[in-house]
Amino acid sequence: MNGSWSRAFRVSLRYPRTWAGLVLTGVIAVVALLGPLLAPHGPNDIVGRPYAKPGGKAAFGTDYLGQDVLSRLLEGGFSVLVTAVLATVLGMVVGVVAGLVAGYAKGWLDEVIMRLTDVVLAFPQIVLALVLLTVAGPQQWLIIVIVGLSHAPRVARLTRGMTTTLATREFIQSAEAMGEPRGRIMFGELLPNMSGPLLAELGLRLTYSIGLVASIGFLGFVADPRAADWGMMINENRLALLVQPWAILAPVIAIAVLTVGTNLVADGIAAAAANADQNEEASA
Amino acid sequence: MTGFPLTRRDLLRRGGLLGLAVTAGGMLTACGGGDPAPAAAGGKPGGVLRVGATGGGAKDTLDPHNPVTYPDQARCLNLYEPLFTRNAKYEIEPLLGESLTPSADAKVWTLKIRSGLTFHNGKTVDADDVIFSLRRILDPKQPGIGATGLAMIDGGALKRVDATTVEIPLKYAYSVLDDQLAQYMMGIVPVGFDLTKPVGTGPFAFKDFAAGGRSTFTRFDNYWRDKALPDELVIIDFPDDTAKVNALLSGQIDCLDNLPTSQMDVVKAAGAQVLISETASWTPFTMRVDSAPFDDVRVRQAFRLIVDRPQMVAQALNGQGRIGNDMYAPFDPAYASELPQRHQDLDQAKSLLKSAGHESMTVELVTSSGIGSGAVEAAQLFAEQAKGAGVTVQIRNTDSATFYGKDYLSWPFAQDYWFTRSYLPQVANGSLSTSSFNETHWNDPGFVDLIGRAQRELDKGKRTDLLKQAQKIEYDTGGHIIWGFKNQVDAYSAKVTGFVPDRNMPLSSYGFRSVSVST
Amino acid sequence: MSRSAPEPGRAWTKWLLRRLGLAALTLWLISIVVFLATNALGDPARAILGRSATPERLAALQARLHMDQSIVERYFSWLGGVFTGDLGESLTGGGSVGALIGPRIANSAVLVLIAAVVIIPVAGFLAIVAARRHGKRTDSLIQVIMLAVAALPEFVIGILLVALLSTTVFRILPSVSLSAGGPPWTNVQAMVLPVLTLVLAVVPYVSRILRASLIEVLESDYVEMARLKGLPEGLAVRRHALANAVVPAIQVMALQLAWLAGGIVVVENVFQYQGIGMTLVDAVRNRDLPVVQALALLIAAVYVVVNLIADVLTILVTPRLRTAVR
Repeated sequence: MNGSWSRAFRVSLRYPRTWAGLVLTGVIAVVALLGPLLAPHGPNDIVGRPYAKPGGKAAFGTDYLGQDVLSRLLEGGFSVLVTAVLATVLGMVVGVVAGLVAGYAKGWLDEVIMRLTDVVLAFPQIVLALVLLTVAGPQQWLIIVIVGLSHAPRVARLTRGMTTTLATREFIQSAEAMGEPRGRIMFGELLPNMSGPLLAELGLRLTYSIGLVASIGFLGFVADPRAADWGMMINENRLALLVQPWAILAPVIAIAVLTVGTNLVADGIAAAAANADQNEEASA
Repeated sequence: MTGFPLTRRDLLRRGGLLGLAVTAGGMLTACGGGDPAPAAAGGKPGGVLRVGATGGGAKDTLDPHNPVTYPDQARCLNLYEPLFTRNAKYEIEPLLGESLTPSADAKVWTLKIRSGLTFHNGKTVDADDVIFSLRRILDPKQPGIGATGLAMIDGGALKRVDATTVEIPLKYAYSVLDDQLAQYMMGIVPVGFDLTKPVGTGPFAFKDFAAGGRSTFTRFDNYWRDKALPDELVIIDFPDDTAKVNALLSGQIDCLDNLPTSQMDVVKAAGAQVLISETASWTPFTMRVDSAPFDDVRVRQAFRLIVDRPQMVAQALNGQGRIGNDMYAPFDPAYASELPQRHQDLDQAKSLLKSAGHESMTVELVTSSGIGSGAVEAAQLFAEQAKGAGVTVQIRNTDSATFYGKDYLSWPFAQDYWFTRSYLPQVANGSLSTSSFNETHWNDPGFVDLIGRAQRELDKGKRTDLLKQAQKIEYDTGGHIIWGFKNQVDAYSAKVTGFVPDRNMPLSSYGFRSVSVST
Repeated sequence: MSRSAPEPGRAWTKWLLRRLGLAALTLWLISIVVFLATNALGDPARAILGRSATPERLAALQARLHMDQSIVERYFSWLGGVFTGDLGESLTGGGSVGALIGPRIANSAVLVLIAAVVIIPVAGFLAIVAARRHGKRTDSLIQVIMLAVAALPEFVIGILLVALLSTTVFRILPSVSLSAGGPPWTNVQAMVLPVLTLVLAVVPYVSRILRASLIEVLESDYVEMARLKGLPEGLAVRRHALANAVVPAIQVMALQLAWLAGGIVVVENVFQYQGIGMTLVDAVRNRDLPVVQALALLIAAVYVVVNLIADVLTILVTPRLRTAVR
């Protein structure tokens, strides 16, 4: 099973855009993961008056409270990355399982799952986010669940579509004839054969997750008001765009580079998967 | 997005001056024209003044007795006028009223109103209109937000003596009735007032109104004082600070209230002016004196020593304010300015906490951007400062509706916001067991006794002495951490002249009458 | 899901009825979720009264809001109201929900429609240019720019546009939509930035998908055939490729229109545009449940209806599908 996933990824490395995306994503990931060790100040240290221009103790200037923008930038990537990755994984797992079950089991289960995805797709997520986060307070796990579940329906539809096509193939038919358990067919036979498109979908979903997590922060839903977090930094320093642009541009650029990076990788994997399909069809 | 800067509770607070204060018992008379408007030299009439007011939304109203948000207040203050008002120095002055005279026992007051005043519809202001307005505020079915402040008035027994005289009987003796009648939500309207065609005596008359959007008013040419300078007044809601500042910078509005202090340089660089007014408004931390760990006075004292006050003012208020000394009402003549200024002392704080058995402790601090600007920032700073004393502060940031919801006044450790007020009215509002907003559950017997005596004491010197003793008790053992007083910061474009600093409300207490716009 | 469709006409009707039924089912399920979620916001009576919540006033208001009934009863009386066009009373504004949100809906609709009208030609143009230069430098440049723009959350686009065009670099456009008087869209200048923000947020997705389907069509056999027959390239693109890219175009536009219905929430808040987005955020903060319920249902309905129309259109423009419909 691992083999098909890593192969799908390796194939995509033939595309320059995958490499470019990996480099961009890598740079930001390193900043996010190692940043806290490199930060010149603590994220809550007061190093100057609010919105001081870059220079002196603060290379990127200070924020609304007089905290060092550079230090908070270095500290603040971790939570965005973790939240977005967990939300993406949740959305992918729920979506893939639902899609496999719907596409393979067919019948009433398929109907129920597809109707559920209709509902979730049509339900205005921003309303759900506003209402739930207002009720329960801006909890990190809730943001993960909301963002994750907002991805699930599209992943489920993609998976279901591929499942119904693959299910008619010979190797599945023969596995069924040999009495292989349905669970093993779904996860052992069907799933590995979708690795390319699903990997591309993962990259795309990660891109959207980062933007969504930042948007939720922008709407003012913030778990710990003291923590450094890129999305939140944009929100809390929004007024500074004219005074101390770095306070907002630094996290904006970090998020933009990260999303562009993940988007490029997703694009490269998608192109590789599409070509693999064509080759397979050509050889068939 | 900072959310809504003014909450439902703010309005209750402004209106809820419960009557216990006895400050200037006796007669208050109008002298001369009573026109507090500044001499706006060279003020040119004409033009349209477009005002950006902070907050507002679907709840907006033109009801003279229920203004909630800043835009509501701005509209009401220009449409309607109360009997008395507060000037820029926070002193009471007569407005539609002329004099207010108490009986010997202060239980019946005689109000004289100015003669020859007219409403926007041409009707003359009569004693009946005053009675109608007061009863409209007191209406138990739909009370105005000023109803609690006028609770001492026996509404049913209000009596018209002649066209300009009203007899106001009280349910109990009360000596600062003029203070209550000077509130901005006590506007006088004609008998049979219709909210769809609002009529008052203010310098501007109603033209149109859209809740959550913009409203237009035209100059009232029969105004009893100097006519307003602008031909037209437009008031626009801005729930969002960024949009508000951008609108001023791009010339879509001429002035705005509540400029975020971070934007002062931007506004100045764009050629606009910043209007700074010293106030006595405060954003305290509130510790419940009847709940652990704050029921131990040593913990309260330690927390007051943890605060780095100059840092609070510099960072949370961007320098726009003055440090506080854990006592409110600094504009009151009786303010205990002789008590030494309290400074951060982490060693002392640690030893107090140790003796209280809290060498390392964790507390939850409940905050909300709905409390007002600087509140969440102050909470964050406090959490950082508390580390130095071994205290871990967990911040719980709630939305306004949650903060002021069912748990409001029960939070063990939270924050709150109070407007400028003198000492006794403030005590009545927040520091007695009978107060509407006693967040700290403060109920000290010695304090209660001193306040009771001060209320009955008519000799000013003796009363001041009692009030200073009461402040000493709060200074030593109270539940508030009062780290500073906030400046009111507003802004106006270079096209506009005539705004002056005002201790009462934003933008010269929304006095747009004396503001001129050059086109 | 019967596969035996002897007569195309009847199969088509059957498909349409099934599709309509599913749309209705989806909306009904959403109405349940909306109702439950909004009720989780807490007791609106308490939220309205706040500090002035004496037990008597609380009880009186709860009765007026039918909070004394069970949640099932309240749900069905609300649903009945939705069908008869009675969305209830706004808890904070006092008036009926319909009167309150009516003009806001119109404002948002105008914003979305103007944006859509701009998006279609812009995205189409970019897609054609990129597809015809497929693999060349122009194409790569457009793709990189699209990827970058697509990566920015829309509020960031909005803020950057304000800084660029309204307050710092150039001061040529108003930054907020309010000060004009009348409906916000009557002030043409003030519409530019909100529309531009929506356009920049949506064009990358639409143009990328259009480009992909155009390339697929251009590389397909019959365009190749047309080329071999000696048709000039431009004509080949216009006549064949565009016609065959209509289906994906319909689908992606539907998706984006549906997205716009919800996505304007953030943009409206950036520009203080008096539409459903601002109203919604206001209503959630004020716990104005009837308004939240009405708007949530509306946004969902827009999504369902737009997708339904797109599916029907797809079938109509594709003769193959029209007959193959199950």
